[in-house]
Amino acid sequence: MSDLGTALVFWPSAAIMLVTALYVFITSSMARAGLLLLAALGIEGLIFVALASEFLGFLQLLMMSGEMVIMVFFMVMFMPDPGGLMGMDMTHDKRRSAAVAAAVTVALAAVAVLTDWPARVVGDDAPDVRAIGFEVMGRSMVTFLFAAMTILFAMVGGVLLAKAGGRYGIGAPLGEARGEAGD
Amino acid sequence: MISLPVVLAVAAALFGIGLYGALGQTNTIMVIMGVELMLGAAMLNVVGFLRYSHPDATSGAFFVLVVMTLMAVEAAVGFALVISAFRHSRTAEVDDLTELKG
Repeated sequence: MSDLGTALVFWPSAAIMLVTALYVFITSSMARAGLLLLAALGIEGLIFVALASEFLGFLQLLMMSGEMVIMVFFMVMFMPDPGGLMGMDMTHDKRRSAAVAAAVTVALAAVAVLTDWPARVVGDDAPDVRAIGFEVMGRSMVTFLFAAMTILFAMVGGVLLAKAGGRYGIGAPLGEARGEAGD
Repeated sequence: MISLPVVLAVAAALFGIGLYGALGQTNTIMVIMGVELMLGAAMLNVVGFLRYSHPDATSGAFFVLVVMTLMAVEAAVGFALVISAFRHSRTAEVDDLTELKG
């Protein structure tokens, strides 16, 4: 992609990504917040494409689509006001959170801008999908397997955490019942 | 012309927005969303460094795959914890989950 093409994709994508990411925490509808997060992370995939990482960009879009749709289901299940129709305020320490976030953003941006990075321009020598495949199945195979095992452990751990008995075993009473029993 | 500091500054802004959400929201799922945005910013950093420092390296792209895995794992374990907490105390609000508080 040419410099002009990169700039034409990068700037609008970055602006829309940041605005949608901010609206995730501004909108009162939690289902809408999940879809806005999907939009923000999907547009981030477009930025990856602009930075000559097409494979990672499309992979990001694919993974985030699945993950965010699941997240929307969870929000509808577990939030007291998923549609935002009751006008509930689900925030705390708003000002302090904004102050800390703004301070961290300014500090990180200052480091990014003021550091003399040994940067090169985006060239045409980007690795293609075939090279990434050889990397995954060759030199980085052990790391790739470790990532796969991590997902497996997360799946098993997630099921164990989420099952009815929880850590107390199958068939154990609910928390209220345990509290009444005086445990 | 897009340069590395520009990419890093955009990633810093995304990280700040995610941090605001993680600190300021009361619902566990929204906190997870904030963490997702912070990890997204980390991924953008990695892609920026990959493109502007070693454009011909494949190991950087692989590192992004690892961060994506981390995002999926974080969401899966987070959702399982939400289910567990909701079953135990009938709420997913972080202000009400004080059982482990010292």
